[in-house]
Amino acid sequence: MAREIAERAARLLAGKVDEYLVSAGLVSSVMVKYANGEVSVTQAWKDYSLTVYATKGGRMNVATYTAQEPSPLLAQLPAMIEKLTPSPLYAPLPEPTGVSLSFVDRKIKEAAAEGDASALTIDLQEKDVAGMISAQHSHSHYLGSNGLDLGYEITSYNGYLRVFKGDDSGQWAWVSTSLEPRMAVEALVRASDLAEMCHSLPKETAAGEHRVLLSPMIAGNLLEHVAEAANAGSVIMGFSFFQGKEPGAVVASEELSIKEVPRDSRLPGYRGFDDEGVATSDKYLIEKGSFRGLLHNSKTARLTGQKSTGNAGLILPRLFNIEIEGGDLRESELLEALGDGLYATNNWYTRFQNHVEGLFSTVTRDAFFIVKRGRPVACARRVRITGSMPELLMHIEGLSRERWQLKWWEIDTPSIVPFVLLKRAQVTSVTS
Amino acid sequence: MVSIDELQRLVEEASSNGAEYAEARYHRVEGQSLMFYNGMLVGASQPLTEGVAIRVLYKGSMGFSSTSDLTPSGLREALQRAISAARSSLRQVKRATSVGHAFLGSARYSVVERKPLLDMSLEDKISDLSERLKSVDFSREGMKVNSYTLSYGERIEHKLTVTNDGAMVESRIPRVALFYNITASAGERRANRWNQLGASGGYEAVSSLRVAEEMARDLDSLHINLVKAKSPPQGTMDVVLGPEIVGLAMHEAVGHPSEADRIMGREAAQAGLSYRRELKEGKIGSELVSVYDDPTIPGSYGFYLYDDEGVAARKRTLIDRGRLAEMLHNRETAAAYGLESNASARAIDHRSEPIVRMANTYMAPGDHSFEEIIESVREGVYIAKYMEWNIDDYRWGARYVGLEAYVIRGGRIEEPVRNVVLEINTREFFSSVDAVGKDLTFSAGTCGKGEPPQPLPVTMGGPHVLLRGVRVK
Repeated sequence: MAREIAERAARLLAGKVDEYLVSAGLVSSVMVKYANGEVSVTQAWKDYSLTVYATKGGRMNVATYTAQEPSPLLAQLPAMIEKLTPSPLYAPLPEPTGVSLSFVDRKIKEAAAEGDASALTIDLQEKDVAGMISAQHSHSHYLGSNGLDLGYEITSYNGYLRVFKGDDSGQWAWVSTSLEPRMAVEALVRASDLAEMCHSLPKETAAGEHRVLLSPMIAGNLLEHVAEAANAGSVIMGFSFFQGKEPGAVVASEELSIKEVPRDSRLPGYRGFDDEGVATSDKYLIEKGSFRGLLHNSKTARLTGQKSTGNAGLILPRLFNIEIEGGDLRESELLEALGDGLYATNNWYTRFQNHVEGLFSTVTRDAFFIVKRGRPVACARRVRITGSMPELLMHIEGLSRERWQLKWWEIDTPSIVPFVLLKRAQVTSVTS
Repeated sequence: MVSIDELQRLVEEASSNGAEYAEARYHRVEGQSLMFYNGMLVGASQPLTEGVAIRVLYKGSMGFSSTSDLTPSGLREALQRAISAARSSLRQVKRATSVGHAFLGSARYSVVERKPLLDMSLEDKISDLSERLKSVDFSREGMKVNSYTLSYGERIEHKLTVTNDGAMVESRIPRVALFYNITASAGERRANRWNQLGASGGYEAVSSLRVAEEMARDLDSLHINLVKAKSPPQGTMDVVLGPEIVGLAMHEAVGHPSEADRIMGREAAQAGLSYRRELKEGKIGSELVSVYDDPTIPGSYGFYLYDDEGVAARKRTLIDRGRLAEMLHNRETAAAYGLESNASARAIDHRSEPIVRMANTYMAPGDHSFEEIIESVREGVYIAKYMEWNIDDYRWGARYVGLEAYVIRGGRIEEPVRNVVLEINTREFFSSVDAVGKDLTFSAGTCGKGEPPQPLPVTMGGPHVLLRGVRVK
C-alpha cells in the first residue's frame, strides 16, 4: 500500500519538477494510559502519511499530508514551487546509497492493528501508578528522482511509569523494537523502589555545589540536548553550543562517548537510509571527550563544505537513535562512588538561557536523594541543576556499565543510557 | 471532508454498540509555512492533516481512536477500534469514568478574515515578509548579529464535532504565527533571543503582530545584555516584572495548576501534578491579583467559541482577588467534581483526544501606570524580558532569568544588569504583589501537554507588576 501511494505521487511529479523525494506510510498504534493506579484512557491510531519534497531551480518545498490519494493535493505543487525563490540551503539530491532495513515484532504489529491494549497492560500490584504503555507499527516507502527506492517496516514498544508513595514518587521508562513486558515490569519495580526509598527518608533541602549522580532518565535528557547541539542544523540556526567547534576539540571529560546509532535494531530509530536515501551509519559525536563532528544532510554539508553523514531530514539533519557508551562503574557501586553528594533520578523542563553558550537549568522531579558516605540519608524535592552544559560535560567522572533503553516525554530520541557521575554541579532550590 | 450526517451515524452506531457516551470529530488543519534564514527564503511547506477522531465511553472505560481513512469502511473500522480499545482495558478500570451534563452547542461559526489566507498569493506573502525583514536594522554598536531566522506559519482549522447527547458544532478558525531567533555576539560573549507572535484571523493579523518592530526591540535587548549590562545585585529587594514575564507566570503558575485533569492526577506521569491538590480554594496571594482564562477574546491566538466536546466557551476566573477560584474542566473532570464543564477540552488535530487546556490566560490589569510603579521602588530591579524559565511539576517553584533587566534606585531606572535570576515559589510570587499596572499586554505561545504531545496555540497576558521584598540571585 505505501509503495503504491508513493508511486502515484512520483508519477504526478515526474517531469514537472527538477527533483522529488516521496515517502508514503501507514502508522498503526495503540496506547494505554494510567492514572491513580488504573487505566484512564486507551487510544488507537491508524494514520496514512505522504511527504513530498520537490525542487525547481534551487527552490525547495515540502508538503505533508495524512492522505492516501495524492492527486488532488499535488496538482498545484509544481506551479507553487515556481513562486518561491532559490534557497540558500539548496543542494542537489545525493546518490541513494542506503539499504532497506526492517525489524517487526508480530505481536506489536497485531496489537497496533487491532487497537487492542490487552497485550500491553501489566499488573500494577495495587500501586499508585501513572504513565503509559504503547505499541506502534510503521511501514514506509520512499521513492526519489535520484533513484531512491527503499522502504522500512519497524515496530516500537515503549512506555513510562511513575509510582507514588504519599507525596513521593519514582519514575522509569523503556523503549524497544520488540514486545518485552519484562521492561515494563522492571520500570514498575524501579519506580516503586525509588518512591519507597524516598518516602522512608527525612526531607531536607539541597543547594550549592555538590557531586551529583544522574540516573539514566536525567542523563538521557541532558545528553540528548548535547546530541541535538551536534546537529549542523542547530549550529546554522543559532541553537548550539558547538558553534565554532572543530573535530578533535576537547568538549567533554574523556569518560564520555556519545554515538548516533541508526543501525541499532533494538531501537525504533533503526534505519538503513536517511530521508535523502543516503546510507546511515553508526558514528561518534563525542569520542572519549573529543568532538568528532556535526551531523549533516546534503544541504548542511554543502553549506559547510562537509559530506552528508546520512542524517538527512528533508531540510535539516535529524537524529535517529543515541547511544551513550558505558563506563567501569557497576550499578551497585554507584552510590559508593558518589560518596557524599546528591543522586538525581529524574528531571523535566530543561531550558537554555542561552543556547550558544549552553547556559541552562533543569528541574528535578521524583526521588532526589542526599547521600552521605554512599548511603541515602534524606530526600529533597524539586530542586534545579543549573550551569553551563559545556562545563557539565567536563565534569563527568564516571559512567555505569549497565545501560537502559529509554524514551519518554523528556527523551524524544530513542537512547541507550548509563548512570552518569558528575564531580560537581550547581544545585539551587526555591524555598518551600 | 466528512459530513455531519456521517459523524451522526457514527455516534448512533456507537450508542447501539453499548457506548454510554460517543463523540466524533472531523478535524482538518491546513497549513502554509515559510522559513527565512538571514533574510533569504529557505523554502516553503504545506502541512495538511485531515481525519476523524472518535471517543466512546464503554462500561466506564474511555476508548479513543483516530483515522485518516475517511471512507465509510475506514470510519466504521475506526469506531470499532475505539470500542475495542475501551473493551481491552476494562479489567484495569476501577472507577468508572463518566461524562457530565454541559451546555452543548448546536452552532456553526468562523473567524472572519479581512485578507483571507487562501486568497492571498504565496508570492505576496513572501514579498511582504521579506520587506518586513529588510526594514529591520540589525546593526548595534559593539554587537554582531551572527544569524537570524524567521518562520511564518498559517493554519486553518476546520472542525465538526458531534456527540450522542446532542452537541453539533462546526467551526473554522484561521491562525497566523511568526517565530524568530536572533543569535548575536559581542567579543567572547554570545546570546540568542527566540520569540513567538500569533493571532487568529487572516493575513491582516500579520500586520498587527509588528514583527519588524518586535525584532528591533529584541535586538536592543540583546545589545543591552551583551554590551552594556553589568553583574546584577543579589539579595532581597523589590522586583518589577514586565508583561511578558507576568503573562508567562500566569500560564505556568496559575493556568496549568488549574487544569482539573492535572489536579486529579490524569497527567501525573507527563505534565505532572498541581499545588491545587492541597490548596483547594484558599488564599494564594494579594487581593490585587485576579487571573482569568478567556477563550472568547476576538483575534486572540487561543480563540474559540465551543470546545472540542461541543461545550459553549466562556471566561473562567482562576484567581479572584487573591483567592483560588475555578478550575479548568472538560466534561469528564467536571463530572468527577459534580460540576458542569467550562469548555476547556481542546485537541490539536484528529490524532488527539480532547484534554483540559488553557486558551488566553492573563492577570487582570490594575490602576498603576508604569511610571508610578517604578517611582514606588527605592531599591530593586526591573526585569523587562526573560530568556530562560522553568517550573517544577507541582507548579510551585519557578525560575525566570532576565534577558533585559535594570537596577532601580530611588524610583528611577538606572544601569542594565545581566542574567538576573528570580527563583520563587507561587505563594511568594502572588503574596508579594504590591502594585499592578494598567498596561495589560498579551504574548502568543505554544503550550505543551498530552501524550502524544499536543502543542497548542495559546496567549499569555499581564501588566507590569511590582513584587515587594523578594529574593534575587
